Formats: sequence, structure tokens, C-alpha cells
Amino acid sequence: MEIFPALLSVVTDPTLLAAILLAAVVGMIVGATPGLTASAAIAMLLPITFYMSPLFALAFLYVIGKSGRYGGSIAAILFNTPGTAASAATQIDGYPLARAGKAGKAMKVATISSVIGDFMGDILLVAGVGFIAAIALKLGPPETFAIYFAAFVVIGSVIGKSIVKGLASALLGVLVAMVGLDPISSEERYTFGSFELSNGIGLVPLMIGVFVLGEVFSQMEERRKSAGRIDDNQTAADDDSLTWEEYKPCLPHAFRGGLIGAGIGVLPGLGSAIAAFISYGEGKRRATNPQQWGKGALEGVAAPEAANNAVSGPSMAPLLTLGIPGSTIGAILLGVFLIHGIQVGPTLFLTDKELVYRLFACGMLGIAAYGVIGYFGATQVARLILKIPTNVLYPIIFLTSFVAAYSARASMFDVTVMTVAGFVGWLMRRHDFNIAAFVISFVLAKGAEETFRQSLLMSDSGLLIFFERPIALAFLLIGCAAIAFRIRSIVKERRIADGELGDA
Amino acid sequence: MRAYSEGLVLAVVALVGLWGAWQVPAASTGDTWAGIVPFSASLALLGLASFMLGSTAFAGASKPGEDEKQPFPGDVIGLFVIALLYQQSIRWFGYVLPTALAAPVVLFLFGIRSRVGLAVSVILCPLIFHILFFELLGVFPPYGEVFDLLDWIKG
Repeated sequence: MEIFPALLSVVTDPTLLAAILLAAVVGMIVGATPGLTASAAIAMLLPITFYMSPLFALAFLYVIGKSGRYGGSIAAILFNTPGTAASAATQIDGYPLARAGKAGKAMKVATISSVIGDFMGDILLVAGVGFIAAIALKLGPPETFAIYFAAFVVIGSVIGKSIVKGLASALLGVLVAMVGLDPISSEERYTFGSFELSNGIGLVPLMIGVFVLGEVFSQMEERRKSAGRIDDNQTAADDDSLTWEEYKPCLPHAFRGGLIGAGIGVLPGLGSAIAAFISYGEGKRRATNPQQWGKGALEGVAAPEAANNAVSGPSMAPLLTLGIPGSTIGAILLGVFLIHGIQVGPTLFLTDKELVYRLFACGMLGIAAYGVIGYFGATQVARLILKIPTNVLYPIIFLTSFVAAYSARASMFDVTVMTVAGFVGWLMRRHDFNIAAFVISFVLAKGAEETFRQSLLMSDSGLLIFFERPIALAFLLIGCAAIAFRIRSIVKERRIADGELGDA
Repeated sequence: MRAYSEGLVLAVVALVGLWGAWQVPAASTGDTWAGIVPFSASLALLGLASFMLGSTAFAGASKPGEDEKQPFPGDVIGLFVIALLYQQSIRWFGYVLPTALAAPVVLFLFGIRSRVGLAVSVILCPLIFHILFFELLGVFPPYGEVFDLLDWIKG
């Protein structure tokens, strides 16, 4: 019930409301611009939020993340280019609808479904987060380390095309996080005699490098491959109106998608793209008109959109209760908490409960804001995006990344770190390594190390402590099971592909 | 070939990681070794790199399309070199002068050919970023070790 006073306090704060509205617009534009992601925008804006109050900073970035997820659908429907990976499933039916002159209708379905899914996720988060935090308070270091281990393995193995590259990316993130002084013994690690390295690698320059500068490098490469101009689809006069009769068949798909997204959102690393595709597949399986899916079914837009937005709220649960970010946006938000001196974890609900619920309230108002703007103005947003000259946009982003990285700690060393991280991020993308796993592991590594070493100190039997405690053992097994399931699904996909080739 | 080189790079990183972890002094009594996590992570990375190299060698010829030749990313390398020079020149010449030079170069690389546009960027980019970050946000601007145009402008 803490959410109601929190909502009231946010609604009565005009500055905060203005920030939420601005964040909803920024997120929508960023999400709808192909090549720009909400993660990149948040990483770039992160240094600016140092000068804001914690709630203001968190709410601003959190709403950009939410609105950015929704904004991806605009590009998917109108330009046949998903603005985010999560909206790739929306493109399957969204673009054929746009080609048939129903772009406005498809965008309205996407907006309503996104709002339904996002609200479902947030309601489940508000209802369940206190309960998870209460359980988390009872966990000791071995159990917490086992959760970290499961998170590393799931994040490394489930996202991306290759398990080996995913796990390697996670390990690289851990190794980079180890640079600097050991927080327990103050011994130097990987500093190679450099004083600047003894302070460690900063989260902000690393994020800006990987997500912002790395993206500029990727866009530079893309420019050569394609003409670089996004063509609006040539359709007849759009039928923008959406009637209740038209949306009614979409409603069960939106609710089912919301539940699928919320369930997947709690699990670290799986993310909204997986939720969207599962929801699309499940929706098509249960649809009364499966033959229409893929050719322009409104239900085919509702199902993935509800799911990918429903991930947003529940993905905050592991972050706030255990300090384990479930997504790259979560990892950046964790950085904001730490920068403002707020310790994330189960004790957060004892020390800063009011802040947490006010953040949830801001998230809910952010959903309402992007819902209203999207319902009435998505077409205008799309027109605006078509007017953005990408050959001016990316140079500006390039220059911003340098000044943003410097602003974090007024350190030129951070700018060097950002430049190198940008190049490494581009290389990782180019070679299909998993940058999300790299960054999330970088963020998790310190906490995992601390709990691992605390567990060893508690134990007389060394590593056996993780096998002697049932909850810890259960999470270790979950990690192993995640790899096993992923290997099984890859083998299955290969068999199907081989079968299809054989039939050809 | 591509998988092989990726495996090799990972193996080198893992070996450097192992060597670096080995340099960490031993733990004092009642404490844990500070190198335990870096050592374990490097060892695991070496295992993955060996697996990649082993599976590439075992598979022999790669599948069609897997080794699709990618063109040399000269533009990206060029932009990275500019990025390195830009960050180093900020150390030497402060923020304003390197930004005034980098802005038109990067715009040109991204396809802007308008002379007026490029000339305007020389003034506008450093000015806008300076006002936003160093005046409005109050961040202390980086001071040029050799020469600082901002210092000169301010007299």
C-alpha cells in the first residue's frame, strides 16, 4: 500500500512531473530512432544526473528506459527497422499493417498493449518486491554468491548466438572489474604500476564507451554498407482510427503477453527481446486466425508489445532486492544508485523504502505519459525522426560521449577508458560477443567476489560450503540447468535448420 | 579462420589475466587471497578459449558463409584514431581547440560536405558543449598542459 502515498507525493511535485514527461518524450524519440538505444541515451545522460537529486535522476532515466522500449515499436512498424531488439517481433506484423495503410491503427494497438503490459509488470513489481526483499534479507553470503553465479551463467549463456562467446564476454567483464585495489586487502590487481588504474575502471566511462561510442563506430560501419537513409513506407492514406471491436481480439494477447513478460523480467539477463518472441509464438499458437499472423494481424502487434514492456518493472526486482541488474538499463540504474551513495540490496527496503516506492510511482506515471503521447502523437514522432539527419546526429553523439565521460569525475583518464571501451565494444559487436553480458558482469563482479570470499572465510570446508547449503546448491543447479537447456535448444535449432536444408 | 583468431585473442587475454593474478601477493593469515577471483576467471576464460580453438580444429573447414569475408573497416579505424588523437589533444590543448578541430573532421567523415556547415561546426560545437557542461552544469573544464585557448580567450 506504500505505492498510494508515493503516487500522491509525485503527482503533487510539478518539477518531477515535468521530468517524467520530458523523459517519456526523449525515450520515445530515442527508441524510435534506428541505431539509437535507450541504453545509449541513458549512458550519455548519466553524468548530467549527478547534479540532480537521487529520485529525480533515477526517475528520469527509468522512464527513458520504459518509453524507449515502447518507442522501438514505432520504427518497427513504420520503417521496417526495429528501433530496439525487443521490437523485432512487432515488426513481423507491424510493417505489413503499415504497408496496407494501417500504420496508425498498428501504432495505436502497440501503444495500448505496451501500456497494459507495462502496468501489469509494475503492479506485479510493487506487489512482489517487498516479499522478495524480505526473503533476500535472510540469505547469507553463500546463497547470495550462488545467485550471482546463476546470474552470470544465465546472462552469459542465454542471450546471444553463442554460449561460449556469451560466457567469455561475462568473464571479460569480471576481469575488467578486478582492475584496481582489492577492496578487502588493498592489494593492487592488474594495475601494471599505473596510479590511475589503481582507482579501477569507472562504470560511467565504460558504459558510455561501450553503448555510445561503440554504437557510433557501428553506425560508421553501417553507413558504408547501406545508403543510410530510412525510407518511409509508401502507403495509401492511413486509416488511423482504432475501434473497440478491432482491439477486443487483441486484449487476451496483451494480457497473456503481459504475464509472459513479467515472468521473464524477474529472471536476470533474459530481457525483453526473448519475452516478445515467446509471447508472439504463444499468441500465434493460440490465435483463432494463425494464418493471418505474419501478414498483418493486429493481435501479432499486441502480443509482443505487451510482453516486451512488461519486462521493465519486474526486471527491477532482482536489482533492488539483490543488487543484481537484469538488464543493461538496470546496470546503469545501479550505477546511479551507487553514485548517489545508496546501497542497493535487501536493506534498501529498510533504509530508503520511500525512495523506492516513489520511483515505482514515477514509473507508473511515465507509462501513462508515453501512453498518451504515443496514442495521439506517435505519427508526429515518426515524422520528426525522419527529419533527423543521421550524418549530423552521430558526430554530435561522438563529441557528447567525450564530454559526458569527462564530466563524470572530471578525469581525462576516464575519457581514455571511454575511448578504448568504445573500440572494444564495437569489436565485440562485430564478432558477435555479448556486450550486455560484459557490462552486467562488470557491475556484478565486485559483489560476487565479496560474497565468494566471505563464504570461504565462513567455511571450514572450502568450496563445499556452496554444496552443503540447499538454497545455494539450488541456484548453482539453476545455472547449470540454464546452460544445459540452452545447449539443447541450439542443437534442436541446428537439427531443424539441417532438416530444412536437406528438404530443399 | 575467424573463430580461430577469436580463440587465440581470448587465450592471450586469459594468459595475461593469469599472469596478472599471479602477481598479487599471497594472503595474510585468516584472509583470502586477493587474486583468487581474477585467477579463477582467467582460468575459466582460458578453458573457453581452448574449447573454441579445439572445436575449430576439430570441425576443420568452416561452414559455408561462416567465414564470410568482411571488408576492412578503414572508416572505423580512422574514426578510432581521431578519437584517440582528440582525447590526447584535450590533455595538451584543453577542451575548446581540439573540439573545434574534431567537429568538422567527424562531420566530414559522416558525409557532411557543406563548407558552411563544417565552418559553423567549428564555432558552434565547442561553444554549445562548453556552455552546457562547463558553465551550466559547473564541471571544471580540462586544462591544456601545452596551450589552452579558453585561458587565452578569458585573458
